[in-house]
Amino acid sequence: MYDGKKIIPGLILFVGLVTSPLWYNAVSGKAGYVPKPELPADKKECIEPKAYIRINHKVLLEDWKESVVRNGVRIYKASNKKNYNMDLNRTCMSCHKDKTKFCDQCHNYAGVTNKCWDCHIYPTQVKEQKIK
Amino acid sequence: MVDKEHKIIAEDAPLFEHIWKTGKGFYITVSILAALVLWGVYAYVTQYLNGLTVTGLSRQIFWGVYITNFVFFIGISHAGTFISAVLRVLKAEWRRPISRLSELTTVFILMFGVGSVLIDLGRPDRMLYAIRYANFQSPLLWDVCSITMYLTVSSICLYLALIPDIALLRDLGGRREWFYRILSLGWTGAEEQHRRLEKAIGAMSILVIPVMITVHTVVSFVFAMTIQPLWHSAIFGPYFVVGAIFSGVASVIVVMAILRKAYHLESYIKPIHFNNIGIFLMAMTLLWFYFTFAENITIIYGNEPVHMAIFWSKISGKFAPLFWLHFTLCFVIPLPILAIKKYRTIRGTVIASISIVLGMWLERFVIIVPTLTRQRMPVEGAFYIPTWVEWSILAGCISLFMLLYALFTKLFPIVPVWEIREGREKAVTAVSDRIKSYLPEQGT
Amino acid sequence: MELSRRTLFKIAGLTLLGLSAKPGWKILSALDQPEPSPTPETLAKKKWGMAIELKKCWQDEGCKDCIDACHRIHNVPDLGTLKEEIKWIWTSPYDKVFPEHEFEVTEEDYQHKPVLLLCNQCDDPPCVRYCPTRATWKREDGIVMMDFHRCIGCRYCMAGCPYGSRSFNWRDPRPFIKKVNPEFPTRTRGVVEKCNFCVERLEQGLIPACVEACKEKALIFGNLKDQQSEIRRVLQNKVVYQRQPELGTKPKVFYIL
Repeated sequence: MYDGKKIIPGLILFVGLVTSPLWYNAVSGKAGYVPKPELPADKKECIEPKAYIRINHKVLLEDWKESVVRNGVRIYKASNKKNYNMDLNRTCMSCHKDKTKFCDQCHNYAGVTNKCWDCHIYPTQVKEQKIK
Repeated sequence: MVDKEHKIIAEDAPLFEHIWKTGKGFYITVSILAALVLWGVYAYVTQYLNGLTVTGLSRQIFWGVYITNFVFFIGISHAGTFISAVLRVLKAEWRRPISRLSELTTVFILMFGVGSVLIDLGRPDRMLYAIRYANFQSPLLWDVCSITMYLTVSSICLYLALIPDIALLRDLGGRREWFYRILSLGWTGAEEQHRRLEKAIGAMSILVIPVMITVHTVVSFVFAMTIQPLWHSAIFGPYFVVGAIFSGVASVIVVMAILRKAYHLESYIKPIHFNNIGIFLMAMTLLWFYFTFAENITIIYGNEPVHMAIFWSKISGKFAPLFWLHFTLCFVIPLPILAIKKYRTIRGTVIASISIVLGMWLERFVIIVPTLTRQRMPVEGAFYIPTWVEWSILAGCISLFMLLYALFTKLFPIVPVWEIREGREKAVTAVSDRIKSYLPEQGT
Repeated sequence: MELSRRTLFKIAGLTLLGLSAKPGWKILSALDQPEPSPTPETLAKKKWGMAIELKKCWQDEGCKDCIDACHRIHNVPDLGTLKEEIKWIWTSPYDKVFPEHEFEVTEEDYQHKPVLLLCNQCDDPPCVRYCPTRATWKREDGIVMMDFHRCIGCRYCMAGCPYGSRSFNWRDPRPFIKKVNPEFPTRTRGVVEKCNFCVERLEQGLIPACVEACKEKALIFGNLKDQQSEIRRVLQNKVVYQRQPELGTKPKVFYIL
């Protein structure tokens, strides 16, 4: 090919740069990192099964937001036939007490940002003076 | 090859030169504009990071320079439609050289009108909520609809009228031939194609006129539909439309003068164009004065305390300097220049137009801000002084508009070549025949 | 590739079936949702209103208990400047609140006394009409609600309110909140806020914080639709003022002199 002496090394360099996250993680041993959210000691199950809630908690919370703020409906009928209050702080955070030790573990790993805590105050936030 | 080029360019060489020849002046202009745009971007980033606290706005006066910019830019956008569409419908042949430059003004400045509102939002990351959760009771939604429609229709008008010239550039060949070939949509200049194009442009021109009137009426409704003193006025709809055409046409004169000088288009954009638009502008000055007068005399005669409090703040109070300055710029300076033929030269009309454009920005400001100082509630004493962020963003918007405009002239001819040629070849006989048809038949 | 009409219909039908699978599943599975409580019907049985007995309020000069209570439990920041202040409830001199009342020849001693102002929770609220996203709306029980999640900060509602009841967050409010109440969220910069008649307290059967905090019992809150309620009793047989009633907003805050 024309300019092969320039193209092939350039191509190798480019592929190397683009795939650098992959082989860097493999080499430095970080590839095996699995986020370890701290589970509550006393409760064994969430309001929904773990598999469901792991995937759908974002949609669930958004539905709760719509329902509570715009429709005034606070009661959530879970699939286990129990009724819960649609309240992030009083329902979810009553078990998962520390956001940094639970929610953030997976969110930081996956690069997920949410704006919930721009306004809402999680239980340990006031104690740790983290509001300001 | 050279023959072909000669055949395409023929006698209209000045119309193509600005595409290929880039002088030192262009580079200097673009550099200065780019610097101002970057400064405006820096100002906006400051605002995005810190919130609207960096502006001079307050709990009492929460709409200021950005909303003024919004109304002002949308107002200027009426230029293109008027000069291109209305004059085309009225069969005014002198619109030929200036139709594209005015349409371009419309299309580009509309984007900054919309941009100004988005810059003003407290949560710009949620700007699409206005579409997702649209509440059609709100005049802002009416704005969204009509401005979108206007931008679409104007862009189509601009593009349709551009096609034959793109085809000319494609035929000239060169490095950009592929670009023009794609955009020309297979234009060959055949009779059938010309007929279709004329029909399409004609239809679009007729469609865009009611849209243009709706747009600024709806912008005025943002204010007129509230129950605030001096905003809740039935005259706002027509007043704003008149003001828009007024400021728009004035800004087109400025654009015309700059392009004429910079690109040596003296033989195409002639004193007669400035004269004709100047006469129209004079009529608009008087019409604008009529509306202003009607509004203010109604207020004075009604003598309602809340209204008069704001009125006096404009005439002799806090806002008096701005009010009288805008009146001078919109009426006192332009009228004698435009009315007296001796002064209605190119230089005269340009001076009058610059005065009008500045005055109309102030007019929007003087409509929006004083009402906010004396809403039907206790006066709380806050005063509005715009900060560097607001001025920088205004400068950035205007600079970006000029920059985009300049870049456009590097790609396409700013004076429509095919319309000039159509004027030369067909319009002269067509108009002559038309006039003959008005007169009694020969031989009777 | 030549496609016969029949084949096209077959493919289109399968595609439609496939595309409708997820939404169809969603709709079918949503059929057994719990009954919303409260329903719009239960909400509509009430119409909340507030009466302010001015003479009782003036007995305690310089008192700001109601304002402090409201701003404390709702995490209203104290920005300290006239430019950026946020207030859900505040006072203004009488002759500025009721400019239509005659004082030129009937000088009264209460002309300059402070009158408590808050969102009037109008029955025909102009602000609700102007909001482009319906971030503010009128609930069946009469409260004009704010959804801080949806507000885009255009401030049109502020332009529409003839009473100036709404405030805007010009910057991040959190550094300016004196003592955070973890029971109620804060707001971000860029959204509009106003008094919400303590909706979150009403849900728990409590009265608004300002009403509870008033030592002189000058604020009376209740259901205007209940003929036997205290507020109806208080408003009976009296000359009652509202702010600018001629505008047709039908405010639900009443002033008793």
